[in-house]
Amino acid sequence: MNAKKLFKLCVIGSLGMATLGLTLVFNTSPASAHGERSQEPFLRMRTAQWYDTRWNPQKTAVNDEAMLSGKMHIAEDWPRAVVKPNRTFINVGSPSSVFTRISAKVNGTPMFTSGPMEIGGDYEYIIKLRGRLPGHHHIHPMLAVNGAGPIAGPGGWMDITGDYKNFTNPVKLLVGGTIDTETAGLGVGYFWHILWMTIGLSWIGWFAIRPMFLIRARVLAQEGGDALLNDPVDRVVAYAVLGGTLALVAIGFFYTDSQYPYTVPLQAGEAKIKATHLKSDLTVKVLAADYDVPGRALRMTLLVTNGGEGAVRIGEFTTAGIRFLNKVGVANNQDPNYPAEIMATDGLHMEDESPINAGETREIKLDSRDALWEVQRLMDLVHDPEQRFGGLLMAWDEAGNRHINSIAGPIIPVFTRASGV
Amino acid sequence: MALFRTAEIIKASKLPPEGVKLSRMVDAVYFLPIAYLGVLATFHMHFDLLAGDWDFWIDWKDRQWWVTVTPMVEVMYPGAVMYYFWTFYRQPFGATLCVTGLLVGKWITIVFAWYWWANFPMNFNMPATMVPSALVLDCVLLLTRSWMLTAIFGVWAFAMIFYPENYFIFGYSKQPLVADGQLLSLADYMGFTYVRTGTPEYIRIIEVGSLRTFGGHTVWISAFFSAFASMLIYTIWWQMGHFFGTSYFWVKGKRGALTRTNDVMIVGTDQFAVTHGAIPNSGLPVGTTLLAEGKP
Repeated sequence: MNAKKLFKLCVIGSLGMATLGLTLVFNTSPASAHGERSQEPFLRMRTAQWYDTRWNPQKTAVNDEAMLSGKMHIAEDWPRAVVKPNRTFINVGSPSSVFTRISAKVNGTPMFTSGPMEIGGDYEYIIKLRGRLPGHHHIHPMLAVNGAGPIAGPGGWMDITGDYKNFTNPVKLLVGGTIDTETAGLGVGYFWHILWMTIGLSWIGWFAIRPMFLIRARVLAQEGGDALLNDPVDRVVAYAVLGGTLALVAIGFFYTDSQYPYTVPLQAGEAKIKATHLKSDLTVKVLAADYDVPGRALRMTLLVTNGGEGAVRIGEFTTAGIRFLNKVGVANNQDPNYPAEIMATDGLHMEDESPINAGETREIKLDSRDALWEVQRLMDLVHDPEQRFGGLLMAWDEAGNRHINSIAGPIIPVFTRASGV
Repeated sequence: MALFRTAEIIKASKLPPEGVKLSRMVDAVYFLPIAYLGVLATFHMHFDLLAGDWDFWIDWKDRQWWVTVTPMVEVMYPGAVMYYFWTFYRQPFGATLCVTGLLVGKWITIVFAWYWWANFPMNFNMPATMVPSALVLDCVLLLTRSWMLTAIFGVWAFAMIFYPENYFIFGYSKQPLVADGQLLSLADYMGFTYVRTGTPEYIRIIEVGSLRTFGGHTVWISAFFSAFASMLIYTIWWQMGHFFGTSYFWVKGKRGALTRTNDVMIVGTDQFAVTHGAIPNSGLPVGTTLLAEGKP
């Protein structure tokens, strides 16, 4: 190796070391979410529209039960770019299985396997969980759509206290007896894996204790080398291993078969879930909408008709699990446990905040304004292939009844204050 | 009387004692760090890319696709590696080497990735074993000394015993239970209860189609199909071993014409020694074919 080559290697090595060293400079705090903000806004705003999400209780002990519940509306304005929800599954987004899932029901129907959901349908889900791994965990409801991937709902924090060593997950078998899913079959699995690995490595070892490669290659190249390498003792051992292996497999299989006389194959049915539908006295038409990039606001012009018998007041606009409320929304629908980082309690503004009377049709200018548009990366809407927004508009009548409308429409980005006039 | 023919083989190799010692050192360096770890790493990656999920999750181990896919994927590397070890060294452990190597890699993944890092219980990610199948394959090659018979009988057995050899590891997971009024197997329930993004059954290929018309003997029909497909796959991979394991040279003739010369046995022959100058002053032109005894 000449001096020039040596110098080159030293430079490359130094660069590598410097790169590794740089990693120590940066703050490496633990990741506290699952990249839900990286999902495109059109995916979060116009597919599953989550609301009334609850993480209850927010502190659970190992082995204790908790619940993740809420509702979702399957948007009428489902994007063309996303596969339709013909096969879906309500899931939980969590950092590994920190909870075990005991049951999941959607509109009262158990959802162990996937099923179709109706565009425009409304679904209430209740997922029962059991605390497994202690820690401070970010938990999302999630809608898995075949062909489109998982669509994350709002994330909330849940704490699990205690010690994982105490965790058990017993389930009753149909044939009688209880089994713990944490340890079921573990001993048997270890036993057979160790046994077969021992036999397999012994088989290799049988040949490894003798010259393996160069000597045999030289002998094989000679006339009669093949016959010389065909050692009779190897043939005897091969017969024994062949017979023993087949016998052991047969014995193991029939023994196991006798142990579990009643078995069922993996199930692949379909959850048949009947959709409900949103109820509202309001009819809402989006006349125009723009997204104020520097002002971090979605500005909508809506034509609202009240077809009910009493006056209603708009109080909340929720999209991508992020809630923008005004005083009406706070008074009627503020959940103190809803994560503050995805809720703007003074994020909804109207020029005319008076109630919409029965029979009245009014043009309303609605402005949902908050830094959350940027923090939650919904400002990336301007980079989407389809410039449309969607969300749920909530209003309340004087009796406290909620009226929900799923709204959607094209949106125009406003990049500078001057052009936004 | 010696148990092995080792002394005769060493004598026939015509290597001096220091050559024999050196060859054992090569065995030690080449076999474990290079051959075994190389196969472990590459076969593990190969297998996980083609059949990974069937082996990762207990609720993927169905009676149709798991039984069909796993032997077909797991017979590929053994085909090529068996060619190499058998053709050049008459060593009948290529399949066992591949499959035990794969399992070592899998257990490293299970302990460090699935259990320690992702916190799934080990029974949820327990891999299937094909060591018995590999032993059968190696034994058939040793006893028949024919890759064709090995492909027909050995590979057939390799795939056919896949389900029974794994039933004693996973049989418990086929027991039925009732949750929320739904009948599930324990494996289904475990797939449901341990939260992951890949939970719904549509992620895997579910059991559908005309296999149900075979009186419910889905496993054995799948195993038969897998066995026949594995035979073909094994043959292809054996030939791949042949292709990649063949050394050839461009020999320049008297009039300058270049001719390609294949010689899978070139290493260790007198011709190789002459070509590389190991028999100096032999007076023979380079490229002369010699018999083992050194006579032209």
